[in-house]
Amino acid sequence: MKDLNETDLILRCQRGDQDALKEIYDQYHEKVYRIAYGVVRHREDALEIVQDVFIKLFRTISSFRGKSRFYTFLYRITMNTAIDYVRKVKKIPKTIVEEEGGLQLSEEPERGPDRILLHKELEEKVKGAMEKLPADQRMAIVFREIEGLSYQEMAETMGCSIGTVMSRLHYGRKKMQELLKGYVKGGGEG
Amino acid sequence: MRNSCSSVSKLLERYFDQEVTGEESSLINEHLTGCISCRETLRSLVELRDLVKAPVEEAAREEDFPWVWQKIERETRLQEKASWWETLRSSVNLSHLLRKKVWVPAAALAAILIFFTVPLLFKETPLSPDRSIVEYVESPTYNVMVYHPEKTDTTVIWLFDGPEMESPAS
Amino acid sequence: MRRSLFLLLFFFIVSLFSVSVVHAQVQTRLRVIQASNIGSNVDPSLRDVYKKLGSLFSFTSYRLLSDQDLALHLNQPSTVQVHQEVFIEITLVGQQKEIAELRVKVYRKGSDILNTQVRLSPGRTVFIGGTRHRGGVVIYALSAQF
Repeated sequence: MKDLNETDLILRCQRGDQDALKEIYDQYHEKVYRIAYGVVRHREDALEIVQDVFIKLFRTISSFRGKSRFYTFLYRITMNTAIDYVRKVKKIPKTIVEEEGGLQLSEEPERGPDRILLHKELEEKVKGAMEKLPADQRMAIVFREIEGLSYQEMAETMGCSIGTVMSRLHYGRKKMQELLKGYVKGGGEG
Repeated sequence: MRNSCSSVSKLLERYFDQEVTGEESSLINEHLTGCISCRETLRSLVELRDLVKAPVEEAAREEDFPWVWQKIERETRLQEKASWWETLRSSVNLSHLLRKKVWVPAAALAAILIFFTVPLLFKETPLSPDRSIVEYVESPTYNVMVYHPEKTDTTVIWLFDGPEMESPAS
Repeated sequence: MRRSLFLLLFFFIVSLFSVSVVHAQVQTRLRVIQASNIGSNVDPSLRDVYKKLGSLFSFTSYRLLSDQDLALHLNQPSTVQVHQEVFIEITLVGQQKEIAELRVKVYRKGSDILNTQVRLSPGRTVFIGGTRHRGGVVIYALSAQF
């Protein structure tokens, strides 16, 4: 039933029906946000990416032929948009205040200042480690660890073989563990 | 034990990702009961996943997507208007009329009529050029300040010393 | 002859309609913003606002709450709900080429918060703000598209 509904939505969207786009948005925007946030680790940037993804979807959905599953088509747009965004942001030095003034403490009463600082420090470390990964390894980590896609689904989305997916995951994880040494305990070779 | 460890460790990531066969899974489970090193490797994979995933889950839970759809709707509405116009144009085929010259005097006469009648029908509301950007401002509950920063196209109307606004239920 | 008259009437009506549309409405943009000192994030879509207001106020965070395009028709109020009980009503009361005169009313059910009348020209933004909300203040950014 879900597949029939989705096919109908896609057809309507291909004909330019904005209500159909809204239904697709309602179904998928959280997933797209999680992927975007997983890549950029920044709320406002992730929201911009979500917006761009659905606008691009509306423009390009006529090229979706139904040969792959719809969500892999959408996730590929998300992946490309997030990577482009990261590349674009790297080129433009930020002049907005968020880059100045150091850490700002939030007003959450249940966390003390020391815990907030630790949380923020850890998040910055993870963000920094993700930024050091090549784009394809970063996407593999996001799709697997955050979205829980199977190797097959990742291969469809990323347009590569399952072997390549496993390789990107393996080297991505290895690099992350090296960069986060001290935060990730354990590890060892058999 | 060593041979078993070297072959199992190659499967650990796939095991962690639940991409192994039933047989492989049983083999690994059995090995893990007696191998601390492989258990540690697995634990580090779990910790890495938590580090990567937890902040994203938290952000997604707290996010209310305040304005995202509005922006998408605006951008896609502009696209929709263009295609709607093309559909109308293609469905209203006036080419056979345009081939005949009957439209020329008709269009000329229509233009003359418009030139004389429209200004009479749609008088613009006269606005004195000397009037300021803020014509008036009043508030029964706040003190108000109007500010025009120099050399900018900005006007600020600011309310002071009022009560706290009631927050909507989240 | 009959066909010529029909075409004449057709062109006349269409032209009248298009002209009346041009003169009877103004496209305005209303953004509702929360400014505060909680955090230091500026919504990327509010960078123009930050540029204009950053030198006037010391807020470190600007968060977009809503962004609406309103097609205002002469003497026809347009009302937008800002919060649970707060509304903003905007009415086009005058127009001349590239100047639009707007009456703006911000009110809670049963009581007015602000009444004002402003003139918008190309590139001008009028900011109305100061009411407190969730540890910050609400700012309405109003501009017109000519």
